[in-house]
Amino acid sequence: MACFQMDLLNEAETALCPASEPSAEVPNGAAGHYLIGLIYRYTDRRRSAVHHFKQALSVDPLFWAAYEELCVLGAAEEGNAIFGESASLYVQKLYSGHAVVSQSMLSSTENKISVSVRNLSPHDPSPRQVKNMHSNTLKDNSGSYHGTALSVGASGQFINGSSANMTFYSTPSPMTAQISAVAPPPIYRNMQANGPHPSLLGNDGSSRSTINTTMQAPRRKFVDEGKLRKISGKLFDSGPRRSTRLAGESGPNTGSSTASSTGNGTSHSSKYPGASKLGSVASRSATFRKGQARGSESTDEGVQQENYDDSHPSITTSSTSSLACDTKSLEEGILMTTGGIIMSESQAITGASDLITLLAILGEGYRLLCMYSCQDALDVYRRLPHKHYNTGWVLSQVGKAHFELVNYLEADHAFSQARLISPYSLEGMDVYSTVLFHLKEDMKLSYLAQELVSTDRLAPQAWCAMGNCYSLQKDHETALKNFQRAVQLNPRFVYAHTLCGHEYVALEDFGNGLKSYLSALRVDERHYNAWYGLGMIFLRQEKFAFAEHHFRKAFHINSRSSVIMSYLGTALHTLKRSDEALLMIEKAISADKKNPLPLYQKANILTSMERFVGALEVLEELKDYAPRESSVYALMGKIYKRCNMHDKAMLHFGLALDLKPSATDVATIKAAIEKLHVPDELEDTL
Amino acid sequence: MATESSEGDEESKIVVGNQQLVVEESLREMAKQAAWSVSSCKPGNGVLSLRDDNLESFWQSDGAQPHLVNIQFQKKVKLQLVVLYVDYKLDESYTPSKIAIRAGDGFHNLKEIKSVELVKPTGWVYISLSGNDPREAFVNTFMLQIAVLSNHLNGRDTHVRQIKVYGPRPNPIPHQPFQFTSREFITYSTVR
Repeated sequence: MACFQMDLLNEAETALCPASEPSAEVPNGAAGHYLIGLIYRYTDRRRSAVHHFKQALSVDPLFWAAYEELCVLGAAEEGNAIFGESASLYVQKLYSGHAVVSQSMLSSTENKISVSVRNLSPHDPSPRQVKNMHSNTLKDNSGSYHGTALSVGASGQFINGSSANMTFYSTPSPMTAQISAVAPPPIYRNMQANGPHPSLLGNDGSSRSTINTTMQAPRRKFVDEGKLRKISGKLFDSGPRRSTRLAGESGPNTGSSTASSTGNGTSHSSKYPGASKLGSVASRSATFRKGQARGSESTDEGVQQENYDDSHPSITTSSTSSLACDTKSLEEGILMTTGGIIMSESQAITGASDLITLLAILGEGYRLLCMYSCQDALDVYRRLPHKHYNTGWVLSQVGKAHFELVNYLEADHAFSQARLISPYSLEGMDVYSTVLFHLKEDMKLSYLAQELVSTDRLAPQAWCAMGNCYSLQKDHETALKNFQRAVQLNPRFVYAHTLCGHEYVALEDFGNGLKSYLSALRVDERHYNAWYGLGMIFLRQEKFAFAEHHFRKAFHINSRSSVIMSYLGTALHTLKRSDEALLMIEKAISADKKNPLPLYQKANILTSMERFVGALEVLEELKDYAPRESSVYALMGKIYKRCNMHDKAMLHFGLALDLKPSATDVATIKAAIEKLHVPDELEDTL
Repeated sequence: MATESSEGDEESKIVVGNQQLVVEESLREMAKQAAWSVSSCKPGNGVLSLRDDNLESFWQSDGAQPHLVNIQFQKKVKLQLVVLYVDYKLDESYTPSKIAIRAGDGFHNLKEIKSVELVKPTGWVYISLSGNDPREAFVNTFMLQIAVLSNHLNGRDTHVRQIKVYGPRPNPIPHQPFQFTSREFITYSTVR
């Protein structure tokens, strides 16, 4: 783990590998598998990574972080499959035997956990394990419990380890005697492991129950280790400790968060003061949400801790149920519910199954989101009970789903709710900042950025938000600096690389832009924004075949985004495959009625195909939709000019000019007007 | 001085400098993509001082008039504005008084496009390259040459503290005939 944290993946691998053949020999069982999986993931050996994550999951069905990773890698199975009955039985078995249950903290979105925790705490009828996933809660000690996933799974083996570092939030949990509710929803960071989570959750539940019986520890939330320190006074119990892993904080961030979490996890574990065997943090790291920068682990208590779920494989062998993805708060929500109810063994059983169902839903939602079938993900998330739905993790997942569907307004709404519920959660906030960027809300965006930076100066998401703010004001150089800072804080945070790439392109520095996009893709191949960025660079450089290839890759990954479809159409058009282009554009139009871009592209294509009537119809539609858009009138004027209807052309050019287009367009339009009065000159330089 | 007054006929204008550098948002600095050279310089006050964003350092020429600053681009670019920082109070007889701007494909076919006359300027002096014709808002060229023809008080050499060149921003969406202006369009126009 030390090696892993220091990025010496090769050494880490050799350390783990000799022992990894028979699974029993992998140090810390599931956690070890998880760590290996991460190593493979980072060194691009996807299949082995998938294999190891699956092994980790089989050893410990509650290993949310592993599930998250699987989801991110795109190889996840149905949530229900993994978080099935067997998982719950397994968990229960583990629990029944052991007094101490190490709870893996599923750091599901803080919000979720905190909410559920809050719900649980007041009347803590049953010991609920709250998985606090997110560091946010840490900050918010007063009460945001993050449901930390309980890594109950391995509890059997590691009773000692169960003293997982659970940082107990200062939530006023009357249940000192009871096991703290673990907020199970392992938030799967990057959509990865939607599926596996449910199982993880189930495990957590069972672990919780055992803990309850044995431990009368107060609820603990695992928050970043750093936070743990702060809260350590409260938390540590020599008895069974629940390591709540804060599963990936809302990490809509594709991939990077997981990466970061793993990193974080490992570091966190090292911080743990002894007792817990947090040594093998690897498992934790998996759940790291993007947000967490490694460096910030210690400092960034609240926020990042959750992430670490991954990193504590050792700690909780049981806690392998790691916390997956923050963002996948769904899972967490489920965990929460399941976690809460484990009082006694029988309760443990119910708890376990509840936990598992919860995890199942969360996991499923996460997985679907990872697969970018956003509409389905949204439906799945809606199946959650209201309590869980309203947690930060779930809401930010929902927001992310809307964002991927290009429904920026709904995304904005979901994210702002998430902020209200869990103001310190950083997962997914970078996506929120992008949503605000798209909506051009500079006030809200700068407010968000300021808040995030003050919440956690070492989180890459905060700097991404700042960078977006500057970019909105066209100050690309400063934006670039901010994004580079984010990259420095956590090089495995995919989105920061992509945003750097965008800024380089805006500064016309295509070489560096290419490099940034490629490094983003190195971290996470399924990050469609980076594919899109590469496509744009090639489009500008007129390498149309490359452009089309890259847009198509992006389209394969996220088939719902109408913007990508319309760019694919444009690329096809430049390759002279206009019919295919039109088909693609039609798809884009039907995918998203509110998006004017595909309509405009369609008009463009029709114009160049000389189908003026069709183009004019489309433009009339556009005119109704966006009456103040000068380019619509300009294009119409151009068409009329081609059709030699000079008076209409003149009218439209005039309208276009009134709407204050950019300076280049003014020149072009004026030139066109001049040429209008020379009908015998067949110039088509416009 | 805070005001800028310009008067005169087409060929020569008398301008007084601004203290602030304020440029429209639609313009961006183009000079990073260019190769800068000067006709002559005193050691220690070379061409780097023109581009270092430091108003204390200046370029001092060291030869016969006219003194030239050559800006060469790798491809044809559209340019709209040239801004110089000169200061009569500090430089007195070194302050340029007649400046001509020439453009072309290379040293062999430069053509004068603008000529201005300065009177005791202090601060940033804006020289727009647009012609009167609205069609000619930009100058599309490979090379720009700024020639200092004469100085105040008939000084021989000249001091120029900073030069910036501006052109229009490119369309953020390639292969579109026009740029988008309304919020609805811009919101959906890219993936980030």
